[in-house]
Amino acid sequence: MLGQVGFRGVEIRERFDTFRGTSKERIARKYGVVGVNVYAQKPQ
Amino acid sequence: MAISCPVDLDTRRLRDEIRSIYARVAVEPSGEFHFHRGPDYAAEFLHYDRALLAQLPDESTASFAGVANPHRMGPLGEGATVVDIGCGAGMDLLLAAREVGPRGRAIGVDMTEAMADKARTSARAAGLDNIEVRLGDAMSLPLEDGSADVVISNGVLNLTTDKSVAYGEVFRVLKPGGRFLYSDIVVANELSEGIRKDIDLWTG
Repeated sequence: MLGQVGFRGVEIRERFDTFRGTSKERIARKYGVVGVNVYAQKPQ
Repeated sequence: MAISCPVDLDTRRLRDEIRSIYARVAVEPSGEFHFHRGPDYAAEFLHYDRALLAQLPDESTASFAGVANPHRMGPLGEGATVVDIGCGAGMDLLLAAREVGPRGRAIGVDMTEAMADKARTSARAAGLDNIEVRLGDAMSLPLEDGSADVVISNGVLNLTTDKSVAYGEVFRVLKPGGRFLYSDIVVANELSEGIRKDIDLWTG
């Protein structure tokens, strides 16, 4: 999706277990919901 | 992550619900929510520097509700112009303003008046005069084309109803060669139509 609007070098750099210990933890695990750091760059 | 809303999702209701929830986070961060908030969560779960957070006004960190940590993707650069989409109470924005220094600028955009006010108050309390906070929407950013060296965003764009429009806006406001340090949630598994129409899950 980011690539489709023109970004280059798109990559997930890191994942985080953002919903651990919340009331949404069960559904987050069920659907594989995690926090992520995503890097992208606009071409020169 | 869903790319766009199901056609019959009530997007106005979704926006109103998002505004309502984050206005509550602004005024009552210790209330009951189904997501974590605050500096301890930021340090323990997302690896923010606890010592740096301790130097920020409490009101900017108490309402923090990000989902990852854009600052771990490299230095912003001294003198850079950084835009924080959905800046909330300003924790990421203040960290960015300190990092770019007095020759740089940190511009926060938020659609919730209570959060924008809180970010402005926090900037004044921190003595940071290189911060500007604008009321606005991620799908129509109040920024000039090619005006930012770096765009950051933390846990916000997943709430937009059309990701292609939101990503297009980020692309528009970045300078050529500019970086998008994007922190958000992703969903590994395909979601059913019923799940995608559930506003409680969108706002969660």
